[in-house]
Amino acid sequence: MKKWIKALPIVALLFITVAAQAEEKPKVIRIGGGGNALNLPQASGAIGWVNEQGLLEKEFAKDGIKIERTYYKAMGPGQNEAIASGLVDFGSAGDLVTVVGRAGGLPYKIISTSGAGGSNIYIQVNPASGIKSLKDLKGKRIGYLKGTYLHLAFNRILDAVGLTEKEIRGVNLVNADAQAALATNSVDAIVSSSDRPLVDQGVAKLLFDTRKYPQFKSAPGSIFVTEAFANKYPEITRRVLKTLLKGYYWASKPENQEAIIQSSVKNGGTYKHIKADLIGSLPPKENYDPTVTTKVLKDYQEIIDFAFKRGIIRRRYNVSELFDLRFQAPALKELGYDKYWVHN
Amino acid sequence: MIIFKKFEINSSKDKGNIMSNRKLTILVLGALLIGHTNLLAAESAEAVPQEQQVSDKQPQQASDSTAVPFGSEDLSATDTSEAGGAVTQAELDGVRAEIATLRDQLTQRLDKTIANSKRSLSISGSTQTRYAASSSPNKNGFLFNSAIISLKGFLKKDYVEGKSISYTLGLGSNTSYNLQPTDAYLQYSIGQSLDIGKPYLYVQIGQQKKQFGLEATTTEDKQPAINTAQFASKLGLSQRDIGIRLYGDLFPVVDLGYNYRIPLIEYSLALYNGSGPNTADTNLDKDIEGRIVINAPAGYYSPYRGLALGGSFYRGKQDLYKVGTTLIPNGEGEGEKIRYGTDLSYVSAPLGFTAEYVIGRDEKNINPFATTLANVTRYTTKSAGYTVTFFYEWGEQFYKNSRSQSRNDDWWPTTFQPFIRYDHWDPDTAVANNESNITTLGFNFFFAETTKFQLNYSLSDDKATKVKQNNFAAQFQFGF
Repeated sequence: MKKWIKALPIVALLFITVAAQAEEKPKVIRIGGGGNALNLPQASGAIGWVNEQGLLEKEFAKDGIKIERTYYKAMGPGQNEAIASGLVDFGSAGDLVTVVGRAGGLPYKIISTSGAGGSNIYIQVNPASGIKSLKDLKGKRIGYLKGTYLHLAFNRILDAVGLTEKEIRGVNLVNADAQAALATNSVDAIVSSSDRPLVDQGVAKLLFDTRKYPQFKSAPGSIFVTEAFANKYPEITRRVLKTLLKGYYWASKPENQEAIIQSSVKNGGTYKHIKADLIGSLPPKENYDPTVTTKVLKDYQEIIDFAFKRGIIRRRYNVSELFDLRFQAPALKELGYDKYWVHN
Repeated sequence: MIIFKKFEINSSKDKGNIMSNRKLTILVLGALLIGHTNLLAAESAEAVPQEQQVSDKQPQQASDSTAVPFGSEDLSATDTSEAGGAVTQAELDGVRAEIATLRDQLTQRLDKTIANSKRSLSISGSTQTRYAASSSPNKNGFLFNSAIISLKGFLKKDYVEGKSISYTLGLGSNTSYNLQPTDAYLQYSIGQSLDIGKPYLYVQIGQQKKQFGLEATTTEDKQPAINTAQFASKLGLSQRDIGIRLYGDLFPVVDLGYNYRIPLIEYSLALYNGSGPNTADTNLDKDIEGRIVINAPAGYYSPYRGLALGGSFYRGKQDLYKVGTTLIPNGEGEGEKIRYGTDLSYVSAPLGFTAEYVIGRDEKNINPFATTLANVTRYTTKSAGYTVTFFYEWGEQFYKNSRSQSRNDDWWPTTFQPFIRYDHWDPDTAVANNESNITTLGFNFFFAETTKFQLNYSLSDDKATKVKQNNFAAQFQFGF
């Protein structure tokens, strides 16, 4: 009897150890993403390829961990809500989304960029508006969707020509309404992504795009993870990132650019414009470089400062609060990509 | 940079690829008209590596003609059977013919079978089917509780500032099974309504729901029970009326990270006939109603999100009735009708709490023999009621963006919502032991986008009649 009692702590310890080991793996990894124009549950580009190949499923099959993906029509803000509600563990979004989310206290961290290229911004104008240059935007009715990378980039473009958002008549419009408003002369210009059917139809003219002025492109988008998940499952986090990085390696190859365009078309884009946008971007290897470099950190700090200055966020903070650099360097090294994407 | 040039060269000099792009553009255009299924099919046929497309410029060789033994197909291998090279004139003519056919079909259907409206129109509706049972008197049965069809749309849409004019026309029937107009109003946005960082201001004219308090007006995210509180029906707060209402908000707080907007102040001021729905005004006076809500000016991730304090008032006149329904005399004898209310709510999924307190003052004639104003005996009844509700949710029903996902299936966030509510009503505070109390335990099950199943079990105690009842109700509420 006494021996049995003496053995109890050892049994308990063993039980706790086994239980603790069991807790090191989640049953499911929940990944958020943006929806698309066709309302289909699929991504494009590097992450789209990882999904098509089932790389995450293969990586975690031996652990019995399921992969769940949710595509939010509301894009970044939709993912922010999901993070706030504890519904997803990982996500990917544009620059402003995470900057604003973190300013509001959202407990997540960027662990990788989604390609150094960022996104181009296009300004289309109604020919009857008399707008000939960016300075002519002063006092004009401009349609764009607030809270997105377009909003931030447009602010920076205005800033460069000595204007502020208060000096134009900003109209908060989703893309479909913005196009309709431009066609009916209800707005003088719109800020958009690459799709520009009205320009093709001769109804509108392209005033400006960041292919010629890449300094105004959006900062690299991000892959983020909740702090709770990263701290509880650091090894799983590293493996998720490692798997996603394989997608960026694939996307960085010139021979895969056509497939990337095709996957974007499947998500509702226009072939011609997507291709022109991609050609107008950085070379593929640079465009899909996911490395969080000092330049990326500097860019994000500038975004935080700018967004605070323009009243887009109500709290200024240090960029280190937004990034968790524990995972990317080991994952890149393990894959041998640290010698592929070399930064001086 | 070298790699970039290589990419450009590959793209520009590869004639096969150019042709492929041309074909893809045609096919996508055609597929957009043909339908989504065909679009994907067309794209998947094109989505092959460049090298493969180049090689496929050659006439198709073995892939179409070589017999493959049944059962030996290798799905892991890239399917090249539909990978085309340059588009041929015949293929182009085929796409043109498909587009022409579709255009003709669309024209015919527009003319014959597709409903048209002069302006934008959105049709929606809802129905409640219920099984109810009570212990005293002992009765039970199925009940078709209500059916509503609602037509909405814009009469004028303003893209620049959102100063749009919209209409709403609702037709509904309740347990009396008579179809009557419910909502019938015009709404105009006096101020801009597109910039979420600025205040909104609307005016609404016609027959509409009163906006007094929380219980009678709120949406299902704040009112989980099947029946509204006793005071809402007893004091006529759930009733619609005909009039004009000005409402809007001030000092909006916007959290761009979530597209979340919450105004610090919401207000509403209305002038009604006071005679109820589908009825002409029965007197010369108009009733006035006001409501103000102070919301916690918090961002989406704040623990204070969803906290609100409201106050409402309603002042009007009502006709003095003799015993029966004859007016004294027609439309001239009037008594005061006053309601005041305050409400507190904290609804931030998954938690919810609401509390509301309302008092009423109704001036009536208590002389059954009065036939003129001179011999009317006026008496003011003071009534009071309150409710307190707690609820909790498992599921994503009340997360806005979770309900809006890109999916192939008809998925909907299955959600369970238990709640408890205490409802107190005192019809005349001057009289002792005449209160009615209802405690309700409920469970809501949301399993489809517009459908929910509700279970309510309530214990009611009417001290005036000294009747205690056990009530059970199960209800499907479904809409489209």
